[in-house]
Amino acid sequence: MVRHNNQLPNNLTQLQNLVKRDPDSYKDEFRQQLAHFETTLEIFNLNPTQYSKKLDEQAMFLAQVTQCYQNDMKTFPQKIVDILKTHNTVLHNDMRLALCKCLILLRNKNFVSAFDLLEIFFFLIKCQDKNLREYLKTHIITDIKNMNMKHKDMKLNSTLQNFIFTMLRDTNVKTSKLAVDILIELYHKNIWNDHKTVNIIADIGCFSKVTKVMVASLKFFLSREEEEKPDSDSEDEVDPRDTMISNKFNKKTRKREKMVDKVKKIAKKIKKRKEKAPIFNFSALHLINNPQGFAEKLFKQVEASNDRFEVKLMTLDVISRLIGLHNLFLFNYYPFIARLLMPHQREVTRILQFAAQSAHELVPPEVIEPVMKSIANNFITERNSTDVMAVGLNAVREICARCPLAVTEDLLQDLVQYKTYKEKSVMMAARSLIQLYRQSMPKMLHKKDRGRPSEASLDLKTKQYGEMDIKDYVPGSEVLLEKEDITENAKKGVRKLKKKVAESDDEWVDVASSDSEINISDSDESEPETEEDEAEEKKVDPSEKNGENIPPTVENRKILKGKRKLTAEEIQEKIKTAREVAMDKIFTDEDFKRIEAAQIKKHITGVKRKSVAVEEEDESSELVKLADIENIYKKRKHDKNARLESVLKGREEREKFGYKDRRKNANCSKTNREKRKTKSYQMVKHKARGKIKRSFKEKQVAFRNYLIKQKKMM
Amino acid sequence: MKKMTWSKVSRDTLYECVNAVLDASKEKKRNFLETVEIQIGLKNYDPQKDKRFSGTVKLKYIPRPKMQVCVLGDQQHCDEAKSLTVPCMDAEALKKLNKNKKLIKKLAKKYDAFLASESLIKQIPRLLGPGLNKAGKFPGLLSHQESMTQKIDEVKATIKFQMKKVLCLSVAVGHVGMSPDELAQNVHLSINFLVSLLKKHWQNVRSLHMKSTMGPPQRLY
Repeated sequence: MVRHNNQLPNNLTQLQNLVKRDPDSYKDEFRQQLAHFETTLEIFNLNPTQYSKKLDEQAMFLAQVTQCYQNDMKTFPQKIVDILKTHNTVLHNDMRLALCKCLILLRNKNFVSAFDLLEIFFFLIKCQDKNLREYLKTHIITDIKNMNMKHKDMKLNSTLQNFIFTMLRDTNVKTSKLAVDILIELYHKNIWNDHKTVNIIADIGCFSKVTKVMVASLKFFLSREEEEKPDSDSEDEVDPRDTMISNKFNKKTRKREKMVDKVKKIAKKIKKRKEKAPIFNFSALHLINNPQGFAEKLFKQVEASNDRFEVKLMTLDVISRLIGLHNLFLFNYYPFIARLLMPHQREVTRILQFAAQSAHELVPPEVIEPVMKSIANNFITERNSTDVMAVGLNAVREICARCPLAVTEDLLQDLVQYKTYKEKSVMMAARSLIQLYRQSMPKMLHKKDRGRPSEASLDLKTKQYGEMDIKDYVPGSEVLLEKEDITENAKKGVRKLKKKVAESDDEWVDVASSDSEINISDSDESEPETEEDEAEEKKVDPSEKNGENIPPTVENRKILKGKRKLTAEEIQEKIKTAREVAMDKIFTDEDFKRIEAAQIKKHITGVKRKSVAVEEEDESSELVKLADIENIYKKRKHDKNARLESVLKGREEREKFGYKDRRKNANCSKTNREKRKTKSYQMVKHKARGKIKRSFKEKQVAFRNYLIKQKKMM
Repeated sequence: MKKMTWSKVSRDTLYECVNAVLDASKEKKRNFLETVEIQIGLKNYDPQKDKRFSGTVKLKYIPRPKMQVCVLGDQQHCDEAKSLTVPCMDAEALKKLNKNKKLIKKLAKKYDAFLASESLIKQIPRLLGPGLNKAGKFPGLLSHQESMTQKIDEVKATIKFQMKKVLCLSVAVGHVGMSPDELAQNVHLSINFLVSLLKKHWQNVRSLHMKSTMGPPQRLY
């Protein structure tokens, strides 16, 4: 039977469906369409500016079914590419987009190579069509991402990279902007995160004549916070047990079974992902090949440029980070910054931040002096407002945290005078400066500012310029030995006691109490004792001579107390033991824990106050936080939330204000009078009027009238 | 789970490795004194967030005896250096370099380390520019109180842990001319020091290897 109403030639979606199911039997229809397409194409070529819906549909159809007739379709991708190439700018916007979609479809089926596509797309970017540009950008990024999903093809990647790098050099604004956007996006997606990409962005992007490209590349080096994407772990957390249990009670169907399997798989995957140690990347600034050259070039650019202030700030920020991170020498930078350090300068806190970032240990003091001087003269004077002074002191602190020699003794002592300033913000800032120098160079401070010497401050060495702190031991490790020996000795003592031979041995000094025993043995023990043991003995000696029964904790404390008066000789001894220990065995995690505890203890011993907050060693201090400089200690005016909080807190123990229900039992019913209060007035109007009692006279009159009435009725 | 009280690397394995390294170098003698280095791989370490660690430690035995140290000194130090036949340069010689990048690079390449006297060290950045710093050879401080030979030996015995662009580092701890005991002590000290620098200590260590310059690597951890 012949189908009379054969709609297939016109109904392309249906045909597409059928072709995909059974390519062989619909070959004729397909050929017909292909021929059709070619004729439409020729017609289209005569007038390329017009949008042709027919061509759009046919091209889409052919792209969809390409995989079924690969022989016939060999030239098809090339044809589309040709249209786009020859008529690139004259094409109608919709037509161009449709053809691009067609090409992307072919690319996804791998009939077009990535490189060809990239080339043609960069070609098309010059068109005046924002939608198309956005579309192409996302496509290029996802395409490269997909290529690198399974495994990285280095060769292909490097050809693509090289192509994009040449595009970055292009004079066309749109092209180079797109190139830099793609590179940055791919870096953030962890796909092209090698040093090659970073260096190209640094060398070309940052020095582009186009401000947009330059700003994008500078932002790339500044963005650290944006990279940290919030982990979406919590949302796709799946517990397979839940579904398994629910499946036990639900009706068993194949669908449910499949679902359980799926959930199990996902859970397994997540678990695996969690077990894998997270991979961390170096920030882009670390990966730069020639930081010195880069910083110098950037600085030259910023000196010469007359860009907007924001752009200049950004460049200065990048330079300061480079200097701080790589310990560069860029001496011209400091006077340049110093010139900008005025309280009324726009964004002055950020400039202070750059000044702090660009300070590092190897900067000679006289180089950073102009910065210090301008901060001290312009900010920290009493003619300024207290906030300005506090900010200035904070900035000085941040600079000195990186470069302790930056400030001279006289200047420091001048600044420290503000510790008793009447305004709290200034006072706190000055104190934080004192605290900093207490830890780094107490000698620079007045004696009374140095604070009570703790054991840690004895270990402290002030460093000269360029001096390196070389240790030949692991600091604090001498503690390990002490504790070990004490426990060891305690054990020995117990053993000895059991044997009851203690008295017979003259060389044993017995210190035995009923509950806790410690025997301190001489080194004549049969075990091979080393000299460390002897060193340890000396320390225990004083407590031994007391001849008292001392429980271990007390003894420990005694040792620590004794140490406060350590002579230089004893310190040497300690270092020696530490070195011996470090050379003898490899420490475990527990050992390190003990060492850390001991180091913290050192900070506390010798200080009388009980609530000594041991300052955390500053972490992640590669970059200066703006908040550190802007931090002004001051009682601020409450904002709404804080105010509300305090209000609610005040209400906590107070009874509710207003109407009080005096019922003793909250559950008992209300009286009629109370109920009446909730009723509408119309209902209780008559009651509201109340009973008005008649007076005697009125009653009399009423009664009389009544009687008269009765009479009349009769 | 491993029991935490164990040492991560036992004495025996360490001595085994040390001996293996020494034996390998004896089996095939090279024309130079091979250096022994340890290589450390790190994990769980975020170079963006965590502070970059760097530390210097002085070993008991000099790992690289052939290291060339140059003294950039004032008059007194130069005289002393000459009498000790240590290469030296004074301020005039440095000024002659005239900040010429190539010459400074040459100078940095020629020596393994530098020492500068107190009066001179502050001028070094101005005199030489960033060249020395770029090469990671910024001079150490040499004061008049210390003896020069001692200081030079200290510099020679000092090793520096510094992470560059990758999450691993290697450092020279000795040479094959050392006895196993000496080598083991150096290894102990350097491992302990390194691990003490790390924030989470052993949890940050992925692997530890030990090898001589041309020998096969031996896994420690």
